[in-house]
Amino acid sequence: MLKTKSNIVFLLFLIILISCNSGGNKNGDDLVYWSSNNSYEINYARTTTQIWNKNNNQFKVSFQPVPEGQSSEEIILAAVVGKTTPDIYSNMWQGDVEAYAQAGILIPLDTLEGFMNFLYERCDSSVVEEIRSLDGHIYQIPWKINPIMLIYNENLINNLSLQRPPNNYSEFLSLSKEFQKDTDGDGYVDKWFGYAEVQVTWWQRFFDFYPLYLASSGGASLVKNKKAVFNNEHAINVFKFLRNLYKKNYFSKERLSARQDVFLASVIATRFTGPWEIIHADNFKPKGFEYNFAPMPVPNSHVGPIYTYGDPKNIVIFNTCKNPKNAWQYLKTMITAEGDLELLNITNQLPRRKDLVKNKLFEKYFNKNPKMKTFAYQSKYVRGTDASPVLKEVFDLISQQYEACVVYGTKTPEQAVHDAADAVDLLFLTEQK
Amino acid sequence: MKINKQKILPYLLVSPYIFHFALFIAFPVVFSVVLTFHKWNIISPMEFIGIKNYVRLFNDKVFLKSMINTLIFLAIHIPLQIIVALFLAEVLNQKLKFQGFFRAAFFLPVIVSGVVVTILWQQMFGFDTGLLNRILVAIGLGKVGWLTDPDVAMTSIAVMATWKNVGLYIVLFLVGLQTVPTHYYEAADLEGASRMQKFFKITLPMINPTIFMVVILSTIGGFSLFIEPYIMTGWGPLNSTISAVLYIYKQGFFYYHMGYAATLGLFFALIIFAVVIIQKRFVEVKD
Repeated sequence: MLKTKSNIVFLLFLIILISCNSGGNKNGDDLVYWSSNNSYEINYARTTTQIWNKNNNQFKVSFQPVPEGQSSEEIILAAVVGKTTPDIYSNMWQGDVEAYAQAGILIPLDTLEGFMNFLYERCDSSVVEEIRSLDGHIYQIPWKINPIMLIYNENLINNLSLQRPPNNYSEFLSLSKEFQKDTDGDGYVDKWFGYAEVQVTWWQRFFDFYPLYLASSGGASLVKNKKAVFNNEHAINVFKFLRNLYKKNYFSKERLSARQDVFLASVIATRFTGPWEIIHADNFKPKGFEYNFAPMPVPNSHVGPIYTYGDPKNIVIFNTCKNPKNAWQYLKTMITAEGDLELLNITNQLPRRKDLVKNKLFEKYFNKNPKMKTFAYQSKYVRGTDASPVLKEVFDLISQQYEACVVYGTKTPEQAVHDAADAVDLLFLTEQK
Repeated sequence: MKINKQKILPYLLVSPYIFHFALFIAFPVVFSVVLTFHKWNIISPMEFIGIKNYVRLFNDKVFLKSMINTLIFLAIHIPLQIIVALFLAEVLNQKLKFQGFFRAAFFLPVIVSGVVVTILWQQMFGFDTGLLNRILVAIGLGKVGWLTDPDVAMTSIAVMATWKNVGLYIVLFLVGLQTVPTHYYEAADLEGASRMQKFFKITLPMINPTIFMVVILSTIGGFSLFIEPYIMTGWGPLNSTISAVLYIYKQGFFYYHMGYAATLGLFFALIIFAVVIIQKRFVEVKD
């Protein structure tokens, strides 16, 4: 009996010991770094940590990809609850930072010596303001972006009257009309000019409404001072434009994503997407298939630069880090120009830095990857997300009105945008109570 | 102190279950009830907000919509499931060639992953390339927006869910049918009863406990509708396929409104409990 009892006590002790694992930070000065779990970024993180560990004896950095889960966000959340967050995490979606910052689990990086100077050297002041949290502190390092642009099938577009991708809404609609076809003669359209997911899931709006809104408005915010600020002509115009595309069947209401890639199969001629499409298209395109990228379409009256959504992923240091100064010291070397070149070479993702086009160091890469150069030029005019702890709900509320108006036409664009703004204001009011 | 081994042993033997029950059932249930009075997003400390979550629940139009959707699903799914399963069970209860093959074939969708079945049906329901619309066009009818028409989408999901689960209920009905004593039918034959009369006067009353079990199982299964709308329609079009469980999931794991999700969950559990009690009263026939 006594033996059984001591066995049970030992087992309980073991369980407690395992659950108390602090994420692998064994030596007080050493750091644990979690990267994204896609193979390119694993490669990149492995390379950078190996270089650091080879050249520095003061402390070591061990890397691991974020553990597998339904989403990396869920894993981070579980780690936060279990207090097993890594010291450094490099794939934080900008829209998540505010909620984490308000929960007090991130290190305010602007309190670290030399951080602000480094930040202003790396980024424009507009980027610094964009990532500033509501409490005035900065909790994230702008690291990489994947701007959303218009991918187009060159062979198909060259056969249309304009012989170039559309720049504005009128051109987009007229090319859509010209391209739309019923190839099998069953009375139903089976070739559309473009495609966007009709699903109401909040993040789907990063690939249609949001980049178009940023393009039209010159990078305006959706929310400011806990109020919706998108009840304006830009949002209404975007809703009108997209409504036209669905109403006239220039975009399919059916989910085409479950099929063979409809862009590479020439079922559609364009799509709003990011630079990740390049590797995919180059690997799977049929022989003779040519494609390129263009800025997002804008209203006919638009003047000035064309902004888009940059899908920024940033670096944060969690408050479980015993030595944030060490973490900052490591990060400074990881995201130098040389480190960013490594990021480009290994992952084909753009670093978020102001000298991306001008810096000679990147010239060779862009000459070798001309399509990425288009994204590099666009990178000057990208926006991330507004600082708000309820950003997902904001996008969800917009998305519900988007579906009602744009896809199914049950509301006018004016009414839908108005209703979305009202719902967002109500959300902020409820959150404040 | 001397320990009485005989007194302690039973407690030790049941202790793994008690430990499991306390950790994985009792604690989550109690914690969920406590959560309903709090605002909690997992990463911030819990904040006591009294009955605000309950007030919000009774003013939440989307939750109401999700409840109505779930009831619509049940109203289509349960009768369809019973009729199809009972019909096929009757057929499979006869002496047929390849009986074993048919029984296995009907049961196969039950053991296939729900995600796989959903993706398969998504292809069948496709507007342009889907098999169903191709058949409709081939026979001169128009295409149907199986998953894109708000008036049709939930019916499509109910049909798919019936196809997926019907095999299980066929097995249950087969067991029920085989327990009906044959001398009842023999007596009915002597009285000159028709096939339909035998079915309605003998078979149905005799398999009443099975019908009750099928109704209860498909009600509980139907109330937990999740994978199908999550994958096939993403709860669209126009929230027409958002089920109550999907909405609770969305509140909990999309927006981390854990307190509100727990409130919805508790309320929903009470609804299921009430429905099962009502069904027990109306469907189950006393001996």
